Amino acid sequence: MIPIYKKEMRTYFTQMMGYLFLAFMILLIGLFFTIMNLMFRDANFQSVLSNTTMFFLFLVPILTMRLFSEEARHKTDQLLYTSPLSVTQIVLGKFLAAFTLFAIATAITVSFPLMLNIFADSLPVSRIVGAYIGWILVGVSCIAVGVFISVLTDNQIIAAVGTFAALFLMFLMEAFAMSMPTSNFASFIFVGLIILAVAGIWFNSTRNILSSVVLALLGIAVAIGLYLFNSSIFDGIIVRTLLWFSVYARYDSFAAGILSISDVVYYVSFIVLFIYLSINVIEKRRWR
Amino acid sequence: MIEVRNLTKVYGQHKAIDHINFTVDDGEIVGFLGPNGAGKTTTMNIMTGFIAATSGEVSINGLDIVADAQKAKAQIGYMPDTPPVYGDMRVDEYLNFVADIKGVRRSLRKDMLAEIKRQVRIEDMSRRLIKNLSRGYRQRVGLAQAMVGYPKVIIMDEPTIGLDPKQIIEMRDVVKNLGNKHTVILSSHILQEVSAVCDRVMIINRGKIVASDTPERLSAKLSRGNNRMQVRVKGEKSKILKALEEYPVIRNVEAKSATEPGTIDLILSGEKDDMDIREFIFRCMCKNNLPILLMKSTELTLEEIFLQLTGDVRSGPAGYGQGAITGKTDTMIDDFFEEPKEEESENEASVSDASQEDESAGGEAHDTHI
Repeated sequence: MIPIYKKEMRTYFTQMMGYLFLAFMILLIGLFFTIMNLMFRDANFQSVLSNTTMFFLFLVPILTMRLFSEEARHKTDQLLYTSPLSVTQIVLGKFLAAFTLFAIATAITVSFPLMLNIFADSLPVSRIVGAYIGWILVGVSCIAVGVFISVLTDNQIIAAVGTFAALFLMFLMEAFAMSMPTSNFASFIFVGLIILAVAGIWFNSTRNILSSVVLALLGIAVAIGLYLFNSSIFDGIIVRTLLWFSVYARYDSFAAGILSISDVVYYVSFIVLFIYLSINVIEKRRWR
Repeated sequence: MIEVRNLTKVYGQHKAIDHINFTVDDGEIVGFLGPNGAGKTTTMNIMTGFIAATSGEVSINGLDIVADAQKAKAQIGYMPDTPPVYGDMRVDEYLNFVADIKGVRRSLRKDMLAEIKRQVRIEDMSRRLIKNLSRGYRQRVGLAQAMVGYPKVIIMDEPTIGLDPKQIIEMRDVVKNLGNKHTVILSSHILQEVSAVCDRVMIINRGKIVASDTPERLSAKLSRGNNRMQVRVKGEKSKILKALEEYPVIRNVEAKSATEPGTIDLILSGEKDDMDIREFIFRCMCKNNLPILLMKSTELTLEEIFLQLTGDVRSGPAGYGQGAITGKTDTMIDDFFEEPKEEESENEASVSDASQEDESAGGEAHDTHI
């Protein structure tokens, strides 16, 4: 893991990407800090943080677009995947490198509230720290999505645009989810489609038509059974599912000064899920 | 020792490799020989754990490449057909990175890298960015990478592709030297290259191993010695053919008008397989006052070797893979290497369009070499 991490860190700073990311990130946050805190003479730094999370949409792709796609393009992945390193080590090494760059940028932005501290008697330290924790969790979640999308393609541009699109969708997810139908029947149809999709993925990986059909029929039978006996289980399932992907929606509580364990657990499990998916996509591509 | 058992890889409908079996002993240099798309790279990618086989097993010194992936991979150095180098690293940086991921101990590293750089002759390039290196040097860096950590097994996919003749010779020397300490497997589609360095050659075609032997025995068997000659004779065709009829030991395989005006090109073969027909040809033509302008044994090109080994019909896409390799191949190999006469007679016996076309195809292919 460490060799990969070191290599990625070096690549960030031998190519332009690392500098580009740091410059953009600090420039944007500095701009917001100048306008919101200095020009409007407002001591609320948390609002700067919550206003800048949307910039992850295009800052994170800079960080993650080349991580795996470039290796695939230049066939250097052959070196990595035939080396004694495990795929988990490779993915974690790259993910941590991206995280480190993000952390460096974050550490630099800490100087802004410290500047405010010169003028204030008592800065709301705990609220700023809480807002920072949320800010970092949102950022790292976006990085995890970016890593995953970089695994899927050998083209950096596609990786960047794809990551932007995925993050944009997640950004709008709350509004999107709210406009979804909430009736039990619609939810039932939604569950049915998910079961079919799972059966399709199963067929794709096993090439066994019988087991896939059995899986689909069994799943749909269970869903029908549940629907007939207790349809309230399906209440608003579409909205709930989609909201799970709404990374940004959860940030609001951090910005409001609430550090809730359930939200932290949510972000951590979101990050773990996408790293796990990245590892599995690579493993699966190689082991079939 | 490397053991490969029943290795099969299927891409959709296409069988890239089909139940390959072989073993490679310690210290052996083995060459995979085959045309493009024969399955060489696929086999190597599976052996190194880069991709998975559809079925079958690979074990490196008793370690399964799937079950004991980490330990097995630690025993292999792989040089893929494209050198897996990072353009924005310097050669030294890159080799150190490779040593890192292979877990080479720091105390051993400096000497090891210096020694490897000396062996592949890239000492002068240590401080150069890899993206600025020429193809040949990049290839050598790729080889150096495979040697880092001195793995027991080194697998090289087309190590000399894209090199100039001098570099090819140098690369051959490097590979030969590797054979002292390592087990080496390399692939190529050039017969001479493989025969120059390898202890053993495996010919792969359409995903199957069609022959496996030492290069000497393979070439001897394949070139047929002085039994099959290409002759260019000055004179009229009818006269020449008539002259040949007087010597029944010489069989006229094919006659056609040659590139030179007023001459005829002939492919002649002896009645028996081990017969030297050169003298007979001379006497025959001499007696009839027909000057021989050229006489040489028809060395089979790699293409022809495949046609022979696979018993394939060379009639374009229609005949592609028509039962030629299925089932028949195994017996063909035996026939070819143990009892060549039988194979010959088999060809003879089936005086079908297929075998004739095979023969003429051989002649044509050779003609272009003149």
